[in-house]
Amino acid sequence: AGGHTTEILRLLSCLSESYSPRHYVLADSDKMSEAKIRSFEQKRAETFSESQFSLDRIPRSREVRQSWISSVVTTLYSILYSLPLTYKRKPDLILCNGPGTCVPVCLSAFVLGLLRIKRTIIVYVESICRVETLSLSGKILYYFSDYFIVQWPDLKKKYPKSVYLGRIV
Amino acid sequence: FRFKDSLAEDLRSADLVISHAGAGSCLETLEKGKPLIVVINDKLMDNHQLELAKQLHRDGCVLYCNCSTLVETLQSMDLSALKPFPPGQPEKFASFLDKVFGLQ
Repeated sequence: AGGHTTEILRLLSCLSESYSPRHYVLADSDKMSEAKIRSFEQKRAETFSESQFSLDRIPRSREVRQSWISSVVTTLYSILYSLPLTYKRKPDLILCNGPGTCVPVCLSAFVLGLLRIKRTIIVYVESICRVETLSLSGKILYYFSDYFIVQWPDLKKKYPKSVYLGRIV
Repeated sequence: FRFKDSLAEDLRSADLVISHAGAGSCLETLEKGKPLIVVINDKLMDNHQLELAKQLHRDGCVLYCNCSTLVETLQSMDLSALKPFPPGQPEKFASFLDKVFGLQ
């Protein structure tokens, strides 16, 4: 959604064609990201002719400031919804940067890993807006990701298992 | 206007930008090299939005005020004291991922 999409497209900007095909997962309520993604991929196709990508939508797992209890329910629903999608795509890598949408996708991949169906590497990049505190998605995925990247030194101090590369967007 | 798809045109022709603390607005403005005054809304509870604005202020890249001190800030501002905002480096991220997957 919005800022998250812009950030993640910047993260993708320097990746080689080894990171292909790219499967984008969006919240069903997200109206603007699809256009940004298509525009990004179109530009990419100008340089890398074999550029492949797809777009999938899942139900939004949580509205801003939704209550804790109903969030657990809607997130569980989103995880169940994500399982067949993650199973179908069996990604080698999941890259995400914080919108609520990413939590069920990552957790479904984590589950498939526990079941020995597919081992996916989960890389989480916390938004550049997060200087001192982690987002809720970050707090959860800090424990489930293989690599957790922060963009400001304060967070690296608070979350020692994280990776600090400086500002990358 | 209420909403535009892109503020890029307006940003290009502006000499000074006064904005709320939204990250997108701040970063877009700073990347275009325009001086920026960030106005904090004391009544909005969205505290995490302030983190970036405060950091940018600490780094000397933006001026910082609230609605009631805006006029005073405009009167006393020294825009030449603002430091440039270096761009992010996504290539570092690409390099990191390549190492993870043994693609180097």
